[in-house]
Amino acid sequence: MPELLSLRDVSAAYGRIQALSHVSLSVPEGAIVALLGANGAGKSTTLNVISRLVPQSGGEILFRGASIAARASHEVVRAGIAQVPEGREVFREMSVRENLELGAHLRRDARGVAEDVERAFAYFPVLRERYRQRAGTLSGGEQQMLLIARALMARPALLLLDEPSLGLSPLLVQQIFGIIRRINEDGTTILLVEQNVGVALGCSSYAYILENGEIAHHGPSASLAADGAVQNAYLGGH
Amino acid sequence: MDSEVLFLFLQQGIASGIVSGSVYALLALAIVMIFKTSEVPNFAQGEVFMVAAYAALFLIVFYGLPMWVVIPAALLFTVAGMMLFEAGILRRVKKALGEPVNLVIATLGLSFLLRGLVRQTGLGDTPRSFPSLVSTDPVQIGQAMLTRLDLAIVGTAVAVMAAVFLLFNFTRAGRAMRALGMNPKAAALVGIDIRRTHAFVWGLSGLVSAISALLIAPKILMTPEMGHVAILAFAAAIVGGFNSLPGAVLGGFIIGIAENLVGLFVSASAIVVTPFLAIMAVLVLRPQGLLGGRPQMRKV
Ligand SMILES: Nc1ncnc2c1ncn2[C@@H]1O[C@H](COP(=O)(O)OP(=O)(O)O)[C@@H](O)[C@H]1O
Ligand SMILES: [Mg+2]
Repeated sequence: MPELLSLRDVSAAYGRIQALSHVSLSVPEGAIVALLGANGAGKSTTLNVISRLVPQSGGEILFRGASIAARASHEVVRAGIAQVPEGREVFREMSVRENLELGAHLRRDARGVAEDVERAFAYFPVLRERYRQRAGTLSGGEQQMLLIARALMARPALLLLDEPSLGLSPLLVQQIFGIIRRINEDGTTILLVEQNVGVALGCSSYAYILENGEIAHHGPSASLAADGAVQNAYLGGH
Repeated sequence: MDSEVLFLFLQQGIASGIVSGSVYALLALAIVMIFKTSEVPNFAQGEVFMVAAYAALFLIVFYGLPMWVVIPAALLFTVAGMMLFEAGILRRVKKALGEPVNLVIATLGLSFLLRGLVRQTGLGDTPRSFPSLVSTDPVQIGQAMLTRLDLAIVGTAVAVMAAVFLLFNFTRAGRAMRALGMNPKAAALVGIDIRRTHAFVWGLSGLVSAISALLIAPKILMTPEMGHVAILAFAAAIVGGFNSLPGAVLGGFIIGIAENLVGLFVSASAIVVTPFLAIMAVLVLRPQGLLGGRPQMRKV
């Protein structure tokens, strides 16, 4: 499969704190690739470097073969990369509707946007009920759904998901990952950051394990899932 | 004081208060829109206001240009100046360290710069009066006496407030500005051009300040210290809730009316402490301001 995104030797730092060193990874078109690792390993930093929220101090990021190093965050969204950030980064005082419309901020095709709102409702029917409600009043799970729906409103080729299972009940995690699979089957490539290793390895085809800002291990998800040593060493033995 | 006089004073105080209040409200609006998006109280807002009026005066005195040229030129100059400051100075300060106090110091620097600039022209050496486009013929409303100019000031100010309201709530650019103020990270992630939006907010704030300056200029004697009126706008913003645009407008009118009523019922010398008392009352009774949202915990 052709490569959609690749990172080559990417490094990043917060002041004197080195958060990433020489991270290389590759996301083939159509795949779900998992990026795993303990708290503080540098997973969010990796996604934020891709989204241009955190500057890289070295290396190269290629999207569809072209470097995005000189791009601003909104240009990366326009190029086709949308991120679902960790935490509950909704526009709290705005309605669900306005949140979704903001997801389509860079688009001018009103009809296409309206279609995509319907598509979001198909994935997340609860958002239809909450359409006029303020996003801040939604439950944690509903906010997570809104975040995913908002990112999809940009019609991204690549979706970056940062810990979508965080703080959700096991049942809700099941449900959300079912939808993530559907989104992927419908044609969106996904780079998935997770601490919930079991679920992440279950739905991805390839996985990278970050440790202290470096890729410590990588391989097909099925073989990582079967490799007890890897699980024990890097992932807390879940 | 018998009840007839009391009623007359009340009417006059409210009417005059609405006039000065509309100017405070505009200036408070200009301060709050910046605070909401950049999280900086712009302590140069009063000097921006002052410079806008002097820029107009400069074109009148030195070039004898007609008002229909002077007004747009002064507005444009102020907008461009604000955008330049945001993009050229503030953005660099933010990038260098980004401590809020550094940004505040940058705005204080701007206020000194602008006052120096006006002194350079020599126009600030003596108090100046600004020509009025509208006559100052008296108009009676109820029992209150105002002038045609007063009515023009209020009318224009309310129109500007309505335009700002529509812009923020019903346009793409307005939604982007609100989104940036609410959650900068999420704003960047949905594809809002953060730099351009910041520049836009500062430009808009400059425009609103300049309009308020040109409205009030014919009513006052201009001096390089006229920017001190921004203190009243800050008071208005605090009373209304520092992160609320409607609050800024409400606060502006409250401060204007309170000032005038105190002047009539208490004494002229008590006017200066009125905004201070209003701030204290609000801070104690409703710390978030009249229309301010619930204070939120900030994630660090
Ligand atoms: N804004 C920040 N300022 C300073 N250090 C940070 C910041 N964000 C993350 N870090 C540090 O960078 C490292 C990686 O963090 P992060 O990418 O958030 O890890 P993860 O998402 O894997 O939990 C951690 O040591 C963290 O403390
Ligand atoms: Mg993280």
